[in-house]
Amino acid sequence: MLRWLGTALFSSVGRKIVMGLTGLLLVGFLIEHLAGNLTLFQDSDGTAFNEYKEWLESFGPLLKVAEVGLFLLFASHIAIALKLSLENREARKQRYVIRSSRGQATAASLSMLFTGSVVMLFLIKHVGFDFRFNGDFHEAPAAVVKDTLASPVSGFFYVATMGILGFHLAHGFRSAFQSLGLSHPKLDPLLDKAGIGLAVALAVGFASFPIYYLFFWTGGATS
Amino acid sequence: MTPEASPRLDSKAPSGPIQDRWDQHRVDLKLVNPANKRKFHVVVVGTGLAGASAAASLAELGYNVSVVCIQDSPRRAHSIAAQGGINAAKNYPNDGDSVYRLFYDTVKGGDFRARESNVYRLAQVSNNIIDQCVAQGVPFAREYGGVLSNRSFGGAQVSRTFYARGQTGQQLLLGAYSALMRQVGLGKVKMYARREMLDVVVVDGVARGIVCRNLTTGEYERFAGDAVALCTGGYSNVFFLSTNAKTCNVTANWRAHKRGAFFANPCFTQIHPTCIPVSGSHQSKLTLMSESLRNDGRVWVPTNAGDPRPASEIPESDRDYYLERRYPSFGNLVPRDVASRAAKERCDAGFGVGGGNAVFLDFRDAIERDGEDTIRRKYGNLFQMYAKITGDNPYRVPMRIFPALHYTMGGLWVDYNLESTIPGLFVLGEANFSDHGANRLGASALMQGLADGYFVLPYTIGGHLAGRSLGAVDTNHAAFDEAENAARERTERLLAVQGRRSAESLHRELGLVMWDNCGMGRSAEGLRGAAEKIRGLRDEFWQNVRVPGESGNLNQALEYAGRVADFMEFAELTVSDALHREESCGGHFREEHQTEEGEAKRDDERFAYAGAWEFEGVGTPATLHKEPLTFEYVHLTQRSYK
Amino acid sequence: MSGHEGGGDGMKITLKVWRQAGPDADGQMETYHLHDVSPDMSFLEMLDILNERLIQTGQEPVAFDHDCREGICGTCSLVIDGQAHGPEAGTTACQLHMRRYANGDTIHVEPFRANAFPVLRDLVVDRSAFDRIQTKGGFVSVHTGSAPDGNAIPIPQLVADQAMDAAACIGCGACVAACPNASAMLFVSAKVSHLGLLPQGKAERDQRVRAMVGQMDEEGFGNCTNHFECMAACPKEISVENIARMNREYLAATFRSRDDA
Ligand SMILES: Cc1cc2nc3c(=O)[nH]c(=O)nc-3n(C[C@H](O)[C@H](O)[C@H](O)COP(=O)(O)OP(=O)(O)OC[C@H]3O[C@@H](n4cnc5c(N)ncnc54)[C@H](O)[C@@H]3O)c2cc1C
Ligand code: HEM
Ligand code: HEM
Ligand code: SF4
Ligand code: F3S
Ligand code: FES
Repeated sequence: MLRWLGTALFSSVGRKIVMGLTGLLLVGFLIEHLAGNLTLFQDSDGTAFNEYKEWLESFGPLLKVAEVGLFLLFASHIAIALKLSLENREARKQRYVIRSSRGQATAASLSMLFTGSVVMLFLIKHVGFDFRFNGDFHEAPAAVVKDTLASPVSGFFYVATMGILGFHLAHGFRSAFQSLGLSHPKLDPLLDKAGIGLAVALAVGFASFPIYYLFFWTGGATS
Repeated sequence: MTPEASPRLDSKAPSGPIQDRWDQHRVDLKLVNPANKRKFHVVVVGTGLAGASAAASLAELGYNVSVVCIQDSPRRAHSIAAQGGINAAKNYPNDGDSVYRLFYDTVKGGDFRARESNVYRLAQVSNNIIDQCVAQGVPFAREYGGVLSNRSFGGAQVSRTFYARGQTGQQLLLGAYSALMRQVGLGKVKMYARREMLDVVVVDGVARGIVCRNLTTGEYERFAGDAVALCTGGYSNVFFLSTNAKTCNVTANWRAHKRGAFFANPCFTQIHPTCIPVSGSHQSKLTLMSESLRNDGRVWVPTNAGDPRPASEIPESDRDYYLERRYPSFGNLVPRDVASRAAKERCDAGFGVGGGNAVFLDFRDAIERDGEDTIRRKYGNLFQMYAKITGDNPYRVPMRIFPALHYTMGGLWVDYNLESTIPGLFVLGEANFSDHGANRLGASALMQGLADGYFVLPYTIGGHLAGRSLGAVDTNHAAFDEAENAARERTERLLAVQGRRSAESLHRELGLVMWDNCGMGRSAEGLRGAAEKIRGLRDEFWQNVRVPGESGNLNQALEYAGRVADFMEFAELTVSDALHREESCGGHFREEHQTEEGEAKRDDERFAYAGAWEFEGVGTPATLHKEPLTFEYVHLTQRSYK
Repeated sequence: MSGHEGGGDGMKITLKVWRQAGPDADGQMETYHLHDVSPDMSFLEMLDILNERLIQTGQEPVAFDHDCREGICGTCSLVIDGQAHGPEAGTTACQLHMRRYANGDTIHVEPFRANAFPVLRDLVVDRSAFDRIQTKGGFVSVHTGSAPDGNAIPIPQLVADQAMDAAACIGCGACVAACPNASAMLFVSAKVSHLGLLPQGKAERDQRVRAMVGQMDEEGFGNCTNHFECMAACPKEISVENIARMNREYLAATFRSRDDA
């Protein structure tokens, strides 16, 4: 009954379309996430951020649904990415002795698996240990965030991974449009620029938190 | 004195009003019952325009078809390289074209050495070809309004050439290839690429299959069928240097000839005037520059032989625009054979440029008149190709061009049904001798290949299949053993010589002999000498060739040596044909037979026939059979382009 | 092994060439020295000279595919110094000339590499996968004789031009050779675009794109991650816009088609 869907989803082109879709939705999440996090900068005692978190929680079951959805987005993006990358390695078992690029492939496009994997490591730490599944966090959200980001180990890790996330998106955003079939001589140059702009904006935006708390924040723990 | 008709050559050309002949013939042909079609098996050799279109059309009708080709994919047959276009009598431009005019131009352009009935049929089906190709998705050039666009081409006063940029052959072949691949997908065609046909298998006088060498594994393979269609292209490479692709060969035709198919008019070869000249002894092939360049380029040589100045510094007074001088009314647009001979005449007289083997094709005046942009828009890709090959910038310095071997009008003799003198062996496309007489008009080879494959063979093959009682023959038949052993033995013989010269060096030498004596100008004396030299070269080949490697794997040197070996035998026939034809017509120019102004002089009294040669043994003179040609519609006249 | 001295005063070129005796044999790079290379030679003519030497000295010549030698048949298939068809943009290996190189240069020559293009010998690879993809839908199903008049359906010049741009593909496989993932997307998308753009090909566009992509996957090509190297290597400069078009067609076809396959 749903064979057609299976065929499509398991074909190379179908999977790329899913990659692109999930990637763009994840970008959407990142924008929302950044906006939410910016409440950290609204005041110095964290009230705004805590209220934002409460507001989120007020959705109750809906939030759960959103979280499951988000998880599925990540899971499918990652699962397909791994499968595709593995197949791509397999597709040329005998490598070239000499290999040289024509200058179209970029460092970003060639390192998607690596940058993606770093983001995945980040997520494990970020979601599993720092916040979402950290009991302390739910006691005093803003404080835990600030403490985490202010600690040199976590803080610098955050800054570094945000750079790498930016790199992932520098290719990813533009690439997603191509995968979804959205290409036109008038659109493409805009997308090239928008992709880089968005990557930089998100990387800088997210990195501004750890940078602020590492270097400029003098507040100490709030409660 | 009209030539005596050979009883062995029944053209089966219908009589009656010429416009009704093909229709009447189709009514007269036996039909194969639809249910019986799938019981018949046809072997098609070659996947150029002729082969691919024939195989696809036969499979669509229900026949089972096996197809072989040399290249790694059927899409790479030499037809892919045709640039200029394909003719058809659509008369879309409303400039007075008609089936009759296309017929007339082709007969006249062929210097009255083609069969009228065939040419008329060709012109008739030309329009169906365009329709078929458009329906397949061939992206022909279009006008703004979306209708098909036409351009004019040499030898015609109407615009009847359809084209797809400079890649018409490619697009037409991809169309035919797509139809072929569709049938492969449907299981009606079995495609065997990287196979070389080495023999035709004849059982009880009827062609019943072929023997091939699998070029990847070296194994010999047998294909049995109820009919065989050779669509194996032309033999220009007997001259070594030509505009043909490297694998073009005479092997399939020659082996068929040895089994009893007559070879007609081998000396009718076409030389194209605008090719990039030879740049050194390393040269492996020549590249054609489209004829359309002569619309704007002016051909000249310096008036002072060996003028050391660069072209741009030679003043007008020291330039000889010899085509404009000799042919004031056609000027630079004279037909191919005339332009080629004029260039040779100047170079032979010592006025050639660039080492003596080239003339200038100059766009200076056109660029001054129309601007560089206009010229770029018209010929940009050609100029670029020229620059890539020569390293010169043709916008600044004139191109250097020289004629080169390009097309062969001669081929296996076929009747109106495209059947050779071996029953059941059909020959299509450039491989047969049929429609172009002694000279082919531009954009007519593509038309003929597709006409033969799409619209002629699918009908005429029925006459053979339904009309003869064909017993069952499979690949275990003794005739297959015999043919395979012969092919095997010949291959082993090539490997066993272990001499000191490569097949290529011998091929180059053969090519030079051919070019010098059987190229643009031919004389009895030169031809006799050439025959002598060819025999010597052939002996040397079999005593001194070195073919490395073995036969049981992919061995390109071995494949090639086999083709050269056949050229060594075939060249002698070409030269004999040229020697016997004591007249000048079309591409065949006998120096003894020219007018006072140096133009070709035909002898219709003695030579208005197709000369078909019967094989008698290597080194033994072949026997000539004549098919007299009668011209009921287009009256014999001397061509003039003054 | 090395040392094929030649006379003359042409360029000296060191060639490192992939030699592999057969499909299952191991291969390696072999070094050859040429001393008399003329700048007017084409790259393949230089290989001819090498082969002539090898034959003269009783060795097996280098097997390489070629036919038209003018950039249209798509037979030649060399990776030269790590680039499919060599360094010049929009140029097949057979159109590359030695004047591009300098005296004393070392040049590496390898076959197109992809699992879907197994090496048969030396520099010769098997690209029949492309033909099999073509059998699945690279056509318009029109029987000989059943076509309407060529001008029955007007086609806007722009559409005809775009179709021609895509149809210019010579099926060489350089896109696969150049793609870091050995993906055949550019080749397949060029055919899907050529036929899908024209009114004649529209009737079958849904089956076509799905069947051709299905076969492409079966042949073991990699997936496209939009590196765009293929376009840069393509001798006919086929645009990756075609890949986007094919993705679009695929998506549309998936939902438009009514069968459950
Ligand atoms: C550079 C160039 C430009 C041209 N431009 C034009 C033009 O603009 N207009 C025009 O009308 N004509 C043109 N021509 C002529 C025209 O292209 C050819 O005459 C025509 O394409 C021949 O088609 P074909 O099908 O007969 O043979 P080909 O296309 O040559 O095909 C021959 C086939 O036979 C196979 N074959 C050969 N020998 C064997 C064997 N022993 N065993 C197995 N298979 C074998 C080959 O593999 C190939 O598949 C041009 C020719 C050249 C060289
Ligand atoms: C917030 C997190 C992430 C975002 C926003 C994101 C975004 C994107 C986008 C937009 C693309 C382009 C898709 C396309 O070309 O169609 C992409 C591709 C890719 N992503 Fe991610 N990604 C994220 C996380 C990850 C993770 C965790 C991995 C883990 C392995 C990963 C691996 C990849 C890979 C390998 C590709 C290239 C595959 C391809 O294009 O086919 N990504 N990503
Ligand atoms: C440095 C900047 C970041 C900060 C300060 C930050 C902060 C937080 C906080 C406080 C939460 C907990 C929210 C909750 O559970 O209610 C959270 C959750 C999460 N964050 Fe971040 N984050 C940052 C960057 C990122 C990035 C770059 C990603 C993606 C790659 C990301 C992905 C997630 C995810 C997936 C969750 C879990 C969401 C949920 O389950 O509801 N975060 N983040
Ligand atoms: S798309 Fe370009 S590189 Fe790929 S096969 Fe076609 S012509 Fe060759
Ligand atoms: S290089 Fe490869 S990844 Fe895609 S865009 Fe071209 S096929
Ligand atoms: S040999 Fe034909 S494209 Fe290179």
